[in-house]
Amino acid sequence: MLYFQAVSKQRYDHITDSELLDKFYSDKDTQWLGILLQRYTFLLLGVCMKYLKNEEAAKDAVQQIFLKTIVELGKYKVTYLKSWLYMVAKNHCLMNLRDRHIFIPVEGRTEIIATETGPEERINKETTLTILEKALSELNREQKTCVTLFYLQKKSYQDIVDTTGYTLLQVKSFIQNGKRNLKLLVEKKMKATE
Amino acid sequence: MTDLTDILKDNEDMHSDELMRYLQGNASEEERFAIEKQMADSSFVNEAIEGLQNFKNPAQVKEYVEQLNKQLQKQTAKKINRKNKRKLKNQNWLIIAILSILILSVAGYLLIHFYTIR
Repeated sequence: MLYFQAVSKQRYDHITDSELLDKFYSDKDTQWLGILLQRYTFLLLGVCMKYLKNEEAAKDAVQQIFLKTIVELGKYKVTYLKSWLYMVAKNHCLMNLRDRHIFIPVEGRTEIIATETGPEERINKETTLTILEKALSELNREQKTCVTLFYLQKKSYQDIVDTTGYTLLQVKSFIQNGKRNLKLLVEKKMKATE
Repeated sequence: MTDLTDILKDNEDMHSDELMRYLQGNASEEERFAIEKQMADSSFVNEAIEGLQNFKNPAQVKEYVEQLNKQLQKQTAKKINRKNKRKLKNQNWLIIAILSILILSVAGYLLIHFYTIR
């Protein structure tokens, strides 16, 4: 049984999410959604577990999210499934917690607010490289240190925590914000050179 | 040291086996970097892995995922079967309607033919 599942899964590995979505929108065959959603089961289970902190509740929540997704995708056209699915999962869990009168404090939510990055534009390597070097030096000390250690020296989160003395949450935040600021600086500098 | 431009690239591929090894602390340096890079690039991946790390037994995660995928397959296949059955039923009615019209037309023709000869 598992062998057949693996084979059928491999058959569709080369098809992108948006192609599978297009197939569903053209013939309304939910089989396409089955193949597509399986790609996100791990991530959805993880997100539900993060919020609900209970293994059975997380499993139930994923099932409900699947059902909701199948219905909603039949009604609306979604372009970026990954970001949309993340939003649906997060809202489902927050509603579940609200029904149980559990509210997530604002400090705990800072990391949740960070948005999902969409597909990247192609980058002109040579010009970007020089601009990037400049932009990196303009980041604040914490972000510059964490971005350099993580992306350029390929250090793990834990290594960076041990080297810098920052907490894991701080390290993640410095890397995420550092990368975002770096992108903004590069875009700004690229516009200026045009 | 990696290429500076790698910072701006987002890696979209996530393999479940790599993820399992990462959760169990057995990932290679390369796999660990690939997964943590995706965590830094995507809040979805970051929160998911933080959640997956909360499972008491990381090996159980794969089992849960397989159960959920089986249920999902059943759900999506069920809907198709229902749709197909409905399609077949609709086709049956269509065939019955066409046959009735044909029989009535032939009967009508024979009746008219019979009376005109008499």
